[in-house]
Order: sequence, then structure tokens, then C-alpha cells
Amino acid sequence: MRTLDRLAARPLFMCCFRPFFLATAVYGVLVLLVWLAFLGAGQGVPAVPGGPFVWHAHELMFGFGLAAAAGFVLTALPEFTATAAFGRRVALAMVLLWAAGRLAFWSSGWLGAAGVVLSALLNVGFMGALVVLVAPRLWRDPERPHLSFLWGLVAMGLAVAGFQADVLRGLYPMRWVLVGVGVMMALILIVLGRVSMRIVNDALDAERVRHRAEEPLLRREDDEIVDYRARPPRRNLAIFGIALYTAADFLWPGSVVSGWLALAAAAAIFNVLNDWHVGRALFSRWALMLYAVYWLMALGYALIGVAALGAPLAPSAGLHLLTVGAMGVSIFAVLCIAGRTHAGFELDLRPWVQVAAIALCSAALARAASGFPGLPVAALRALSGAAWVLGYGLAAIYLGAVFMRARPDAGTGCEEVLNEPGVA
Amino acid sequence: MSLLRAWLAGLPAYLWSGWGAIASLFLLLAAWETVSLLYGPLVMPAPRAAFATLLGLIDSGAAWPELAITARRAMSGYALAVIAGSVLGLLAGLSMTASMMSRPLVTVLMGTPPIAWLVLAMLWFGASDGTPVFTVFVAAFPVIFIGALQGTRTLDNQLFGMAEAFRLPRRMMLTDVYLPHVVSYLFPAWIAALGTAWKVVVMAELLATQDGVGAALAVSRSHLDTAATMAWIVALVGLLLAVEYLLLEPIKREVERWREHAA
Repeated sequence: MRTLDRLAARPLFMCCFRPFFLATAVYGVLVLLVWLAFLGAGQGVPAVPGGPFVWHAHELMFGFGLAAAAGFVLTALPEFTATAAFGRRVALAMVLLWAAGRLAFWSSGWLGAAGVVLSALLNVGFMGALVVLVAPRLWRDPERPHLSFLWGLVAMGLAVAGFQADVLRGLYPMRWVLVGVGVMMALILIVLGRVSMRIVNDALDAERVRHRAEEPLLRREDDEIVDYRARPPRRNLAIFGIALYTAADFLWPGSVVSGWLALAAAAAIFNVLNDWHVGRALFSRWALMLYAVYWLMALGYALIGVAALGAPLAPSAGLHLLTVGAMGVSIFAVLCIAGRTHAGFELDLRPWVQVAAIALCSAALARAASGFPGLPVAALRALSGAAWVLGYGLAAIYLGAVFMRARPDAGTGCEEVLNEPGVA
Repeated sequence: MSLLRAWLAGLPAYLWSGWGAIASLFLLLAAWETVSLLYGPLVMPAPRAAFATLLGLIDSGAAWPELAITARRAMSGYALAVIAGSVLGLLAGLSMTASMMSRPLVTVLMGTPPIAWLVLAMLWFGASDGTPVFTVFVAAFPVIFIGALQGTRTLDNQLFGMAEAFRLPRRMMLTDVYLPHVVSYLFPAWIAALGTAWKVVVMAELLATQDGVGAALAVSRSHLDTAATMAWIVALVGLLLAVEYLLLEPIKREVERWREHAA
């Protein structure tokens, strides 16, 4: 116990996002390195029920993706609901539970039936614990404005439970990973709605300052730049479209009906971008990164749709625009934005951020391109994997240092940057 | 010129806002596909089959002449209804007595089903263009008449008082006080009537004429060709959507912006 307490006392466990975001970046690199080795040499992936593709999909969705999701909700939801931050012990316990889930799943093939049960208990237990931790705060919040997070987490928990139930029954469990992808896309839309309000309006403020500096006499000019607002009806339509597609594709995989619904989801996501066309401020680093997420997500669903309607391309092309693209880039953005500010650092303005973001977008595009007929599949997949490793490798190095270090200001937990050093 | 520039500058944003409508239409296609899966292609052909048939009709040159004939009839009846409905409605709105008197008559017109008018028109005009044109006119007229009537009746008398107090020139009175208000009522009525005209003309053609989309629908029905039926329906609805969203809706937004500011 004392060892654990000493571990929890390290700066890494000062706030829940720190260990989880570090794990996200490191694990993202690790899983892809193993996967690249498998694609190249045909081995190296642990034997799990369902085979190597299930391992790849499960670990990137429910391992990598959920580490980021857990880090975000355990940090952001206390802030949103104005309740106390989760302590160091929660951070340590949750990340250990997550790591145990990874270990159990990796070894579930070797350990036999006991391993499968253990993996199910730990992975479902992790999602259950996450829901139990945040549910009371979301529910007790006056008017419950953030309840959508709870539904998202519950749906994700059901996807994890469904996956494990299929494994226990000896079925091929991939369909539940696809449900997880749908839920993750919805959660990304919910999170970006909130994050973007801050990021895009900051960019607009910077644009107003620039205007004023360039045209000091035309003061009326800056009145024309209106504030950005992420409008819930458009976001809700997009989430509705994604949910319908996910449900239809679960019931009738790859059917024409789910193809039309995927196209509807794509159009509804493009519709969200009506809020986003705010002029030059869009081309600032962080705003553009978040904007790219919507494009990748919409294009992903569009490709899935046309593939289901009979276009000659692999359905996995669109799927990977969702996972590598929308999920990969949005998680990277959240790591950069929430990760740094809640560790007491200002946003990172160094060029590695752009390099990593471009690498992740390229990884998504290359992986999608490999699903088009006539293009070199193996080369594009290798390129995609390498670009992903570069992107998250840079994140692990540059952000990992931030997460493991003590805060530079007087903060003692998850607070954002304290402007006056030495004053708590 | 500045109006044109403003319109062009707003065009990309307007076109982009169409994604919401496109999303809804894709949801409709998914529902259509589901029905076709459940009940089979004889009851409801799949959307892609209907689109393929439509493309075939367009490629073979069969589609445009029929659509042109139908459009001509619909537009003739509609134009008559716009002129007569707007003028008479505005005039009736000017007098309390006239509007009191005309309301029940318009209700009678509105309440009479177009199919009843169609039967009368067939007796009067036979298989000529007169039948669909008259049916369209009589179906669209009351909608526009009511819009025009309400536009004039709801004019703000206080605004007139103020305009008079400021000795507003007659021309400004017309363009700045009278017209914007009336148009904000007339325009939605015109759009609603256009939809009615487009629907009624096909019905009239189906029963009364040898050519036009309605007649083509009658032929495809007699051949039990549901794919061709759906193809014609797609063509009709597609044209109406294009006219409404690319032409009328942008104008309507401009017109209604005035009402929003006033509110």
C-alpha cells in the first residue's frame, strides 16, 4: 500500500488525465509498431480470440481510444459540473485497471478460458468504474447540461460488454468494435462542441486584435467578426445520423440501407461545419486541427456509404478515416490542448505539433487510399502506420515530458494555467 | 450591384447550409430502401433502380419532352393564379367589406378538392391543355389570394400615420412601407402555390391528357412498372426541390429578413 501511495504522490498522478494521456500516446505507438511488424512479417500479434484483426481493432478502439476518453472525462467532467477533481488514488487505480485490462486481453489467448473471463471482467469493469465515477456528478448537476457524456459512456460500456459477451460465447466479436467506433464518433462531436467554443473564439479574438493593429482607423471592422457558437441542433442531427447508421450496420452489416444512412451521417457532419466557417480565424493551428476532424469524419462516413452502395472500394477505407483520422487527430488535439493547459502550461506553439498533426492526417488518408482499387496496398498501409507512429511518437515525447513533470505554476491539481506564479 | 455582391458573398454559405437538407433526404432514401427490402421490388423498387430507370429515360431522350410539357402547363396555370390571386387579393384586402365577403368564397374554393375541379374541367375543356391549366389555376388561386389578402389586412396603420406625418413621398411609401410588408406575405404564398401547382398538374395529366409526366405515370402504372413510376416521381420531386431550394428559398430569406427585423 505504501508503495502505491508513493507512486500516487508522483506528479504523473496529480490529475487523472496525466497518466491516461501518457498511456494513450505511448500505447498508440506500441500497438501500431506491433501491427506493422505483423503486416510485414506475419507474426508478433498475441493470439487472442477472433485473431489478429480483432486484436488490432480492439486495442486501438477499446485500449488506445478509451484511455484518452477516460483521461478526458475524469478531468473535464468534474470541471464542467463544478465538483472536486478526482484524486491521485483514483487516477492511479483507474490507470492500473486499464493496464490490467490490456494485459489480460493480450494474454487471453495463452491463458485459455480463464484468461477470456479475466479479460472480460477487467475490461467491462473498467468501463463500469468509469460510469460509476462520473454518473453521480453528471446527474446531480443542476439542469444536467452534460448528461450526453453519460449516455455516451454507457453506450461505450455496452459495446465493450457486447464484445466480451461475444468472445465468451465463441462468436466473432468485431461488430461490437464497430459499435464502439460509432459511439466514439458521437463522443468526439460532443467533446469538440465544447472544446471548439474556446479554441475558435480564441482564434477569433486573435483575428480581432490583428484587425485592430492593421486598420486602427477602421474600428467598425472588428464588429463584423461575430462570435462562434457550436449549435446543438446541428450536432444532435449528426449524432442522430451516426447512431442510426451504427444501429443499421450492426443489424445488417454492409447493407444498402446502412449505406444510405452513412451518407446521411456524412451530410449531417458537413452540416455541423456551417457553424465553423468563420473566416481567416479558421486557419489558426488549433482551429484548423479540430476542423480537419469533422472533414475526416464526414469523408469517412461518405466512403463507407458509397462502398455499401456498390462503389468498388473497401469498406475499411472509410472506417479508417473515422478511426485513424477523426479519432486519431481529435485525440491528439485534446492531448495537446487539455493536456497542456490542465498541467499548467500554455498551448504549445512549437512546430512539432504541426508535424504530428499532418502526419496523423496523412496516416488516415494513406490508409483510406489503400482501400481504393489499383493502389499499392502494402506500401500505403506501411506508410500510414509509420506516419501514425511518428505523430503519436512526437506526442509521447513532447507531451509525456509535460505529464510527468510537476506544474510550473503554483497549481496542485487539474487547474488550468495560473497566471500569477506563486499565487494559488 | 452591391446587392448582387452581397448575394454572391452569401452564396457559398447558403449552399453549404444545404447539407442539413441533404442529410434528411438521405434518411428518406434509407427509409425508402427499407420499405423496398421489406415488400419487394414490385411494390417498391429500390432507390438505385429508380435512379437507374430515370437515367435511362433521360439518356433515351424520353424524359425532357414530357417534363417540358408538364412544366409548361403547370407554369401557365400558376402564372394565371399568381396574377389573378395577387391582384384580387390585394384589392380585396384594401376594403374590409370586400375581404369579409371574399373569405367564405375562398374557403369554398380551398375546400373543393382539385379532383372535383378536374372532372368539371374535363367536361369543359376535354383532352386539351385547358384541363390541366384550369385545374392548376383553380387550385393555386385561393392560396395566393389569401396570402395577398392577409398581407394588406395586416398593414400597420400606425406606420402609415407616421409616414404621413413625415410627408413620405408616394413612391417611398410604396417601396419602403407597403411593398416589403405585402411581399413578405405574398412570397411564401407563391411558394406554397407552386408546390400545389406542380402536384395538381400531374394529377390532371394522369386522368385527362395523352402526354406529359402524368400521362407517362399512367402508362407505367398500366405496365405495373413501379421502377418507371418511381423514376418519374423522383424527376418531379427533384425538379421541385431544385427550383425551391436554388431559386425561391434564397429570395424568400431576403424577403423574410425584413419581417424578422420588424419583429
